[in-house]
Amino acid sequence: MGMTITEKIMARNSGREHVVPGELVWTDINTVMTMDYLGKTCFDKFRQLGKTEVFDKDRVICVSDHLVPPPNQKFATMLNEWREVVKNHDITHFYDLGRQGIAHQIMVEQGHVLPGTISIGTDSHANTYGAVGAVGYAIGVTDAAVAMATGKAWFRVPSSVKFHITGQWQPWVMAKDLSLHIMGMMHWNGHLIYKTLEFTGPAIQSLDMAGRMTLCNMTVDLGAKNGIVAPDKITQRYLDGVAKGDWDMIASDEDAEYEAVYEININDLAPTVALPDKLDDTVPVEKVIGTKFNKAFVGTCTNGRLEDLAIMAEILEDQQIHRDVNMIVVPASQTVYLDALKAGYLETLVKAGAAIDTPSCAACAGIHTGVAGDGDIVLSAGNRNMKGRMGSKNAQIYLTSPAVVAASAIRGEITDPRVAS
Amino acid sequence: MIKGKCWVADDYVMAYDIIIQEYWTSPIDAEENSKWVMAGVKEEFNKENGFKDQGFTFIVAAHNFAGGGKSIEHVITGLMGAGIQAVFATSFARLQFRNAINYGLPFVTCDGIADGCSTGDELEYYPDEGEIRNITNGTVFKTVPAAPFIAEVGKAGGLMNYVRDKIAKGEPIE
Repeated sequence: MGMTITEKIMARNSGREHVVPGELVWTDINTVMTMDYLGKTCFDKFRQLGKTEVFDKDRVICVSDHLVPPPNQKFATMLNEWREVVKNHDITHFYDLGRQGIAHQIMVEQGHVLPGTISIGTDSHANTYGAVGAVGYAIGVTDAAVAMATGKAWFRVPSSVKFHITGQWQPWVMAKDLSLHIMGMMHWNGHLIYKTLEFTGPAIQSLDMAGRMTLCNMTVDLGAKNGIVAPDKITQRYLDGVAKGDWDMIASDEDAEYEAVYEININDLAPTVALPDKLDDTVPVEKVIGTKFNKAFVGTCTNGRLEDLAIMAEILEDQQIHRDVNMIVVPASQTVYLDALKAGYLETLVKAGAAIDTPSCAACAGIHTGVAGDGDIVLSAGNRNMKGRMGSKNAQIYLTSPAVVAASAIRGEITDPRVAS
Repeated sequence: MIKGKCWVADDYVMAYDIIIQEYWTSPIDAEENSKWVMAGVKEEFNKENGFKDQGFTFIVAAHNFAGGGKSIEHVITGLMGAGIQAVFATSFARLQFRNAINYGLPFVTCDGIADGCSTGDELEYYPDEGEIRNITNGTVFKTVPAAPFIAEVGKAGGLMNYVRDKIAKGEPIE
């Protein structure tokens, strides 16, 4: 019997010919990512294991993203302690303020994630790494400490579910809409817990890396263990010149077994919106047209990439954001920031009345940079909308794509970008 | 055998509600994290030691306990510090299921248990037999057995101890 791509990756990285779902294996880890607010604890725990040197200084990746720039003294002090511990362990790749970005963006864009390998991160959206055909698993600080010491982590092999996506991407419809559509279809409360989600089909083969990252990123919000797209020419082009290591093509066997296969044709997929509080309460945009909001937010590891800023600039060119709407845009990394600056996207957005902020997790983690207050209604291109996620429990968060946010911001009410543009 | 009273969780008890946002950046410490554990779940728990002072030994839940996708271990240390010795549910969110294994706190899969228990019921948990007995209403539940590795980690008192021992003895981790 054949194996799925995730099973193959788990087999080859645990020195086995074959693995089956449910099996427990210790696997080799290509890279371990940790970031500012949990990283110091990882290093502390790592030393408690009786080690002083990490398994490979080039493969422990440290990023400042949740707490930068520090909005208060507590975070400033935490960041100082973090910098000291990273320096003490002589870590090669430290993406600190000035060279920073959201950790998952950094991991992929800087080539620390490679097809056919396993990377882990102490943040739930580590699932993003599946976009380049890697297995990306979110883990806690204990697992990170163990991997820093040994280069290994334990996993149960997940069973695989395939999403075969056909049809053509329609104008102003984005990977985020597909993510939210799947969320509404599957519900986040159980069906896909522990599963690996594999995305295949012509609409995936034609999807750019930014879209693949969005799709894999939100698989954690479906309860899944990881999401993955097999590497292809798009992956090859993306990784050329950035990949930190050798890699090869890998794909599921023809006779691999899936627990379930879902077919989705995107010809009729509409821009999609998740209503406040529950991720799986999703509707096509036409159901909520006219809903007023006062805050707009685009950024995060889900939708803060160059392609997201490009579509916003296209919609907001020579337009003005409504006077009742405050929009904050946060590029996902310094690289994205610079590229968007050079391409003129940031100029367009600033002229339209958007505030651009320093790359970080920003208000998505609800701890700084544009958090929500009582009574706020936020239209966000982020990934979570539960009560209190962006700050106040008395705020409402609608989730959608960057295109819907941009088109809606002009009118101050939720708008279909297909009609507005 | 472990004996004590249970708290029955509603659906949608998320990691976010077990440890609310303002404590995500706290140190991971059972005593510290237990003071405000469950603060976001119910208003009556939203005070210092609000949940801990209830003296529950077990939590009983339905689907996706501790879901919503948050990897922080404060969730587990908070529950342990509050005196919780096992959690029984139809299903668990994977991140906290994993963290629980790594800390040696039994997260035990048991289909339909939430329908057979009410908050305050006395339960007896027999880990070796894979059985939960509700003393208050007389029902008995069979649990889904855990993999041997999980029991080994539990016996060691968590993954840190398990791996530290292996490293100290120079044994391979496989």
